[in-house]
Amino acid sequence: MQVVSLRSDAHTDAEPVSGRKSSGVDSAAAMIEIDHVSQRFQTSGKQSHLALSDINLTIEDGAFVSILGPSGCGKSTLLYIVGGFVQPTDGVAKVKGKAITGPGPDRGPVFQEFALFPWKNVLGNVMYGLRQQGVKRAEAEARGRKLLEMVGLKGYENFYPKELSGGMKQRVAIARTLAYDPAVLLMDEPFGALDAHTRTRLQNDLLDIWDRQRKTVLFVTHSVEEAVYLSDKVIVMSRSPGSIKQIVDIDLPRPRKRADLLLDARFQKYIVDIEKMIDDGGKDHL
Amino acid sequence: MTQTRINSVLLGITPIVLFIALWQSLISFGFAPTSLLPPPGAVFGKLAKDFFNGDFLHDIAATLIRLFAGFGIAVVVGVFIGLAAAVSPAINAVVKPLVRVLAPIPKIALYPALLLILGFDHASKITLVTADALFPILLSTYYGASMVEQKLIWSAMAAGTPRWQILFKVVLPAAMPSILTGCRIGLVISCIVVFLAEMITSTDGLGHMLVQAARTFQTVDMFVPLIMISMLGLILNSLLHWLRSYLLRGFPEV
Ligand SMILES: Nc1ncnc2c1ncn2[C@@H]1O[C@H](COP(=O)(O)OP(=O)(O)OP(=O)(O)O)[C@@H](O)[C@H]1O
Ligand SMILES: [Mg+2]
Repeated sequence: MQVVSLRSDAHTDAEPVSGRKSSGVDSAAAMIEIDHVSQRFQTSGKQSHLALSDINLTIEDGAFVSILGPSGCGKSTLLYIVGGFVQPTDGVAKVKGKAITGPGPDRGPVFQEFALFPWKNVLGNVMYGLRQQGVKRAEAEARGRKLLEMVGLKGYENFYPKELSGGMKQRVAIARTLAYDPAVLLMDEPFGALDAHTRTRLQNDLLDIWDRQRKTVLFVTHSVEEAVYLSDKVIVMSRSPGSIKQIVDIDLPRPRKRADLLLDARFQKYIVDIEKMIDDGGKDHL
Repeated sequence: MTQTRINSVLLGITPIVLFIALWQSLISFGFAPTSLLPPPGAVFGKLAKDFFNGDFLHDIAATLIRLFAGFGIAVVVGVFIGLAAAVSPAINAVVKPLVRVLAPIPKIALYPALLLILGFDHASKITLVTADALFPILLSTYYGASMVEQKLIWSAMAAGTPRWQILFKVVLPAAMPSILTGCRIGLVISCIVVFLAEMITSTDGLGHMLVQAARTFQTVDMFVPLIMISMLGLILNSLLHWLRSYLLRGFPEV
């Protein structure tokens, strides 16, 4: 196991976050490049708060990358910048080599709060993106049904979001985003509001989907175990100002089985090491 | 389900029945002479008979036209301005002071001026109804549209919705609960105002009918339009309620 330590303030180009075992192979192109990105927010009373300070990061096509860090270190902000929802005050974020100027269907968000359209039923929510992409109604419906089957919600097409459990809502949200086939999934604590059991099941389902579709995933979480279990790379951030503290390669074989990993010493060591990093960060600033 | 529905209908009818019983007992026990306070039986009997009377139907129609036109214009204008102000800071900068100045004016004070400008017919009354119903609808649309969950908008934008379509595809449907609450208040106000305007100056309508009856001491005829307008209000409110539960079927109970 090698823990790559990389201070974001070193002004070097961040080491490319590789896809899977193929690190070093040229074919894995950069999907997301974050170049000297800083984000300053005006707060009430003429003050300003540096939420992100000089972030440099490259994420390769097909990589599953998690972001960990204390509350308020700018994880969501970083994700919103990649999503194009927030414009950075400094630096550029690029997707496939092009500067991000706004949201687009190449980057699909999944939020902790699900953010489903309450006025649309489950099928309507999933069809939304397809219809926006100009897919004809009949075909959008057929594809929507297939997606719902894939996320295990066959038979719930006509339910409204309010009639579903949290886990089911998040499945709908994931299907809604997968529908327009984004190259990048931006997931902000997607399983944070779910109970442990539901969370584990959704993690496994997400891994299954990722194994098949190999999308680039940027995944924010507070659970170290979740990050290690899912990711190729774990980015550990620190606070005040938000910056990248370390990037850890997770060198565990895929496909991963939770039951096997829980008994795997390497898995445990990753978790312990990363937890220590986050703790150190806490001491630095509190 | 049907059982609870029957129960709630029964619960809703009870106070009305009690009210009519109280009304009847005031007469039966001699607290009010029949010449001044007609018994409910006489009023409802006259009301039933009036339904075959062309003049009465004409009055109802006149009132309904003014009510619907005034309320309808208020909904369209109020929702439009409310949405525009919520999404555009420039429009908001213009609308906000105007609303602050105009909203507290008792619109009935504008009625004499409206009569002079627009005449005694529909136009002046419709304008008055619109002026009064507009503000609750405008304000609730504005607040509903301003408080739309940011992530709903982001989700739609990421799915490829152009910025200009966000207003109709996300903001409007997301603000619908608030808009409909405003409409409900606007509808009640419309009922009151149309009646009031007809009482003040009119040649037809339910309000005019009441004033005419009062002037000639036709006490039964005085109560008929009152019962009629409250029944209209009840029916319209139920229709709006039904529309609301249909449009908001996906929203958590409000
Ligand atoms: N719109 C905003 N206006 C002002 N400050 C903001 C805004 N959004 C975020 N911030 C500030 O930026 C910092 C980073 O916020 P962010 O939501 O990215 O943190 P986070 O790492 O996602 O935290 P959490 O783990 O609690 O979700 C916080 O200090 C927050 O107060
Ligand atoms: Mg966050």
